[in-house]
Amino acid sequence: MAIDQDTLRHMSEASVSVELETQDMTLNIGPQHPSTHGVLRLVATVDGERVFGVRPVIGYMHRGYEKLSEVRTYPQITALINRIDWVSGYANEVPFIVAAERLMELEVPERAQFIRLILTEMARISSHMVFMASYPLELGAATPLFFALRERERLLDLLEGVTGGRFHPNFNRIGGVKPNAGAGPTQKKTPQDLPAGFFEETREAMERIRHAADQLEDLIAGNEIIRARTKGIGVIPPEVAVAYGLSGPNLRASGVGFDLRKTENYLPYHLFDFDIPTGENGDCYDRWWVRLQEIRQSCRIIEQAIDGVPEGPLQAKVPKVIKVPAGEVYVRAENPKGEMGYYLVSDGGQGPYRLKIRSASFSNISVLPWALENVLVPDIIAIMGSLDFVLGDVDR
Amino acid sequence: MTDTSRQIPGAGMLKGLWVTLSTMFKTIFLPQKHLRTVNYPKVKETPVPRARGVIALDQEACTVCMLCARQCPDWCIYIEGHKEEQPPDKPGGRIKVRAELDRFDIDYALCMYCGICVEVCPFDALFWSPEYEYSEQHMGDMLHDKERLQDWLKTVPDAPALEK
Repeated sequence: MAIDQDTLRHMSEASVSVELETQDMTLNIGPQHPSTHGVLRLVATVDGERVFGVRPVIGYMHRGYEKLSEVRTYPQITALINRIDWVSGYANEVPFIVAAERLMELEVPERAQFIRLILTEMARISSHMVFMASYPLELGAATPLFFALRERERLLDLLEGVTGGRFHPNFNRIGGVKPNAGAGPTQKKTPQDLPAGFFEETREAMERIRHAADQLEDLIAGNEIIRARTKGIGVIPPEVAVAYGLSGPNLRASGVGFDLRKTENYLPYHLFDFDIPTGENGDCYDRWWVRLQEIRQSCRIIEQAIDGVPEGPLQAKVPKVIKVPAGEVYVRAENPKGEMGYYLVSDGGQGPYRLKIRSASFSNISVLPWALENVLVPDIIAIMGSLDFVLGDVDR
Repeated sequence: MTDTSRQIPGAGMLKGLWVTLSTMFKTIFLPQKHLRTVNYPKVKETPVPRARGVIALDQEACTVCMLCARQCPDWCIYIEGHKEEQPPDKPGGRIKVRAELDRFDIDYALCMYCGICVEVCPFDALFWSPEYEYSEQHMGDMLHDKERLQDWLKTVPDAPALEK
């Protein structure tokens, strides 16, 4: 696949006798599960192995969360938005809750903010681990899946130990993290603080994650087949990435060092020391490499955060029936997939008047028609997989 | 960016194979340390105490206030009750009216395990239990009544100790 497009076109034309007129064929790929976690349909124009253009058809997973949010109360929406990007459910909650808190002008206790930050980074690692598992699998390497999912399972156990849910934690509340309710007759009276041994287990888990990241690098980074399939394939230059509104690791792989964790203050990231890994070429390999480095950076953040978790309450004082004052606010956050934003308009009621969700994957796949022009059919999977989108995040 | 495997052809592949080989021998010779899975139906992992497995009901505590049914995002709780008059404690006293629970069903085929009902219950009648083995052959059988929910109350664990 290192042969460039013109040579290839020449070769395929040479092999066909001159009098045979080849005709473009419209090929329908999907709507079932081509390489991603969800349902996406691609209408591709192909001539033999060459793909001239691809038109993604989305909407098969539309669940109407924006409209549904208008008839739900704030605590109910927290449970719903877990399901937008289900691979990193926890990270979805935070910007929405922060948006409501900004309108209510609430001061969130520091301890709650630290817990949010630690769990968000865990969600980021587990989301990237799913990518580390699924991307080589899409390229035909099954082994990294077991290495990545093994460590992710440990992380999800930790998340479950704190929140009670592996995928859908539903742990954030307006004003802090989940108070007083949970399992057990005695637990109703005690706040849902971090369970005993959490710090130690997290430290161990981070060691294991680093080890797994090294193993994954050994497994994939040098592998000749993977390199041939990903190096120089699906190159997205920085101008194009910015023009299509890419965000998160996909943007950083193109060499743009833009990270909302550094520029926004939705969580106290400024207290910690971490780097933003950026790629050089913006190809599929770089997108994989950036995510691997982000796993290591998230480990660094978590290790610093668990050393500095302050004492204090978990919840600010909030009324029992939560009413958000009228107004509008846009809060954006760095999700594992990219920029996740909530534009919240409130009219003073128990639920939002309007909630616009800016999800990362929707913008990330908008580059597909550009990136899938003049590629080979197997590269469709390589490029699509490297963008790491979740269809629930695309369609909402 | 690391570009280590360019020198010797096949070096990157051999490096990967070494990872799988060493992992294989580790799991064979040191299963306690390196084996991460359990043989499920025979060996069971203990879920964490906070795990949201199933909702248990304490019928005595329920006052049929309907808060949980109203707050449920997908309306999977069905409650019916009636008022029962109780004789006064001493002669000539006020007749007490007590709400009796007739029906308390949760449709676990609909439930999305968000825990809002547990949280809003003002009388501590609902609890999370980490019990998870209640799958059914048919979707309709996932509707569990108050007796079944009461049974699960036994499996509700104590709260875990807290960090510091």
